Amino acid sequence: MLRLYEKKTKYFPSKSIRDISLVILGLVLVVCAQAQGSPPPGGPKGGGGPMAGIGLPLGFLEEDKDYKFPDDITKYTAKDFLMLVRRTDIRSSFYNSDMSATITTVNVSPTRGTFVTKEQIFRRDKDDAFLMLTLEPESRKGQGMLRVNNNMWRYDPTSRKFTHTTLKDTYENTTVTNNDFRRWQRSIDYSVEKLSTGTLGNYKVIIGELRANNDEVPFPYIKMYVEADRKIVLKVEEYSLSMKLLRTAYYTQYVQIGDSFVPTVQIFQDGLVPEKRSQVTYTNISTKPLPDYYFTKEYLERVSQ
Amino acid sequence: MHLSNLKLHFKLAARNVRRQPNRTIALGGAVAFSALVMTLISGFVSGMDTAIQDNVTLYSGGHILISGYTPSWSGRLQNRFVDDEIATIVGSAVTDIRTVSPLAQARATVVFGTREIQLTLRGIDWTKDELYHDSLLLSSGDWKALNEHDRSMLMSSQTADRFGLAIGDQVVVRLTTASGQQNVTDYTVSAIYDDAASGVMTTAFVSFEDLIADLNMKPNEQQQIAIFLKDSTNAEHAAKAIATALAEKGYSIASGSEQATQRRMNSGKAVYSISTVQELAGEIGSALGSIRWIGYAVFILMLLVSATGIANSYQMVLLERTKEIGMLRCIGFKKKDVFASFISEGILLAGAAAIAGILCALPIGLGISFIPFDPHGDFGAALVKGHLRFIPTLGQLLIILVFIMIVAVVAVFLPARKAAEVVPVEALRITA
Repeated sequence: MLRLYEKKTKYFPSKSIRDISLVILGLVLVVCAQAQGSPPPGGPKGGGGPMAGIGLPLGFLEEDKDYKFPDDITKYTAKDFLMLVRRTDIRSSFYNSDMSATITTVNVSPTRGTFVTKEQIFRRDKDDAFLMLTLEPESRKGQGMLRVNNNMWRYDPTSRKFTHTTLKDTYENTTVTNNDFRRWQRSIDYSVEKLSTGTLGNYKVIIGELRANNDEVPFPYIKMYVEADRKIVLKVEEYSLSMKLLRTAYYTQYVQIGDSFVPTVQIFQDGLVPEKRSQVTYTNISTKPLPDYYFTKEYLERVSQ
Repeated sequence: MHLSNLKLHFKLAARNVRRQPNRTIALGGAVAFSALVMTLISGFVSGMDTAIQDNVTLYSGGHILISGYTPSWSGRLQNRFVDDEIATIVGSAVTDIRTVSPLAQARATVVFGTREIQLTLRGIDWTKDELYHDSLLLSSGDWKALNEHDRSMLMSSQTADRFGLAIGDQVVVRLTTASGQQNVTDYTVSAIYDDAASGVMTTAFVSFEDLIADLNMKPNEQQQIAIFLKDSTNAEHAAKAIATALAEKGYSIASGSEQATQRRMNSGKAVYSISTVQELAGEIGSALGSIRWIGYAVFILMLLVSATGIANSYQMVLLERTKEIGMLRCIGFKKKDVFASFISEGILLAGAAAIAGILCALPIGLGISFIPFDPHGDFGAALVKGHLRFIPTLGQLLIILVFIMIVAVVAVFLPARKAAEVVPVEALRITA
């Protein structure tokens, strides 16, 4: 005990020095905290921080369950609409299970004519991860795309090389983007600017004009047409920074699987070249659990052989 | 060996070469042809190298490029930076600079009617530009219109032909901003350049200010600084000097591979990377490597054929001259003199033939460089205005000459040694 006491006195010879050390430590902590600063201009609004990754805002799933929406669509406020968009985000995704499906895409292009591609997708929405393998055409069979931990790669079995890609990149130079294969999270990426009501075919819809929360969301402005009764998205117009229509997405058919409402038929119409469009159809949808190794580069490499 | 002896050997060798003109022409012709082919290959490969470097300078915008990457609020590196000091530091680090200008570029989709094409859109400060004014040939429109009109575009003739575009036509441009957002703008085609004259470059050019606005960047921001040197061969040396000067001032300089791996950064500091035209040309010019190897293979094959021809010929010469060698030995010629006279003859024949071959190659090479080739073919980047460049260097020509003479010495060595070993009395008895 005596020896221990002696050691202590060696490093802390007096109470005043110990107090000074604590004050200095406190000052360092304050300076460090200030150095963190607030988000720079162009960053996300509010205190939520960036949400582009696997993380969801606190209470994202829980708050939705008990939210009471107005019965009259003309009474919707910006918050109500954002919660409605959140409901569509949650219901179109699979947060409680994995998902796999076959995707058939029919593309029409004025320069390339009509061509069909078929892919197998494996999704794990809670981790914002997916793996996609090309089945058709034969010439591209085995090519793949993997998104995991906020990173995204394309794999070419011929060269056996992975190349970085991003969500905003178009898929095979069509009107489909890589982002279309991912879970929906419009309620995280956008804020409501303006609301109105209207009809789309036979359906009464709430039309919401949304602005991106940060400058890294590919489409700075979108206009959503949401059917309030069934709480499903029917149409989304995506605009450029200069407010030119870039693309219109139509979600024409939904299938209920458990708690999820999956848009099984999605049509994407190019805003600049109207003759260019794609129809994406989901079939063989399964919610069976997928092994963890599915979402690895090694598996993609192996399965592409 | 005395100089007088050497002179005697070469005099004897020259006389022997002249003795049988038909054989000399056949043998010398084979050697000259080898020298001719090698001169042509080395001259055109050098020309392609230079053409690729010149074309890459046009593609990239300068001999040295400094790219700046600033971390965004999310930590993602964005190709943008604000710094007025870099140009000053560059100016003090390198002396032979012609221009230093800001550069911005984006991969864009240009839409005209129902057609669309992906190309690189480059923003140029037309008031500071010398490179493109000097290098590009306008097939229609003029530079004045590009300077004076807002949102005007300089487009390649290939793209214009594909779209059926003419001066005054408006195109829609879709691009991704520096932060990753989609943007769509309009441009008017004000001039069209002849892409065949620039290694089939499809880049479209707009004013720096317009592109900066389209990329949603602030007017004082830039993506790259393009440095155009007075002498492009100094690019590597100048780049090192710039990197050292920037590092001394506290700038963070990353190599190309480091930058590629650092897609996200948590520190708020900008990262810069420096590339040179030689590095970029090296990547594109790797295809030239195969041409070079084919050239070397042809050269070795030619040398082997020549060596075999020379060796066989001198084996025959040995048989023909056995009596003569015997007589020379009888009147006082030593073994080494006989040996030296054979070797001298080989060197003289091969050297003269090689010089003749090289001299013949020069007008042929120049003639080929006037033949127009398809600039849209596989080697379009290695052409200048649709033509191959023929640039043989003195060093290459000397190497060809020396190699051929060495091969001649090696080929003549065995017959020369046999000739030196001839017993004079025996030689006279046999051939009597």
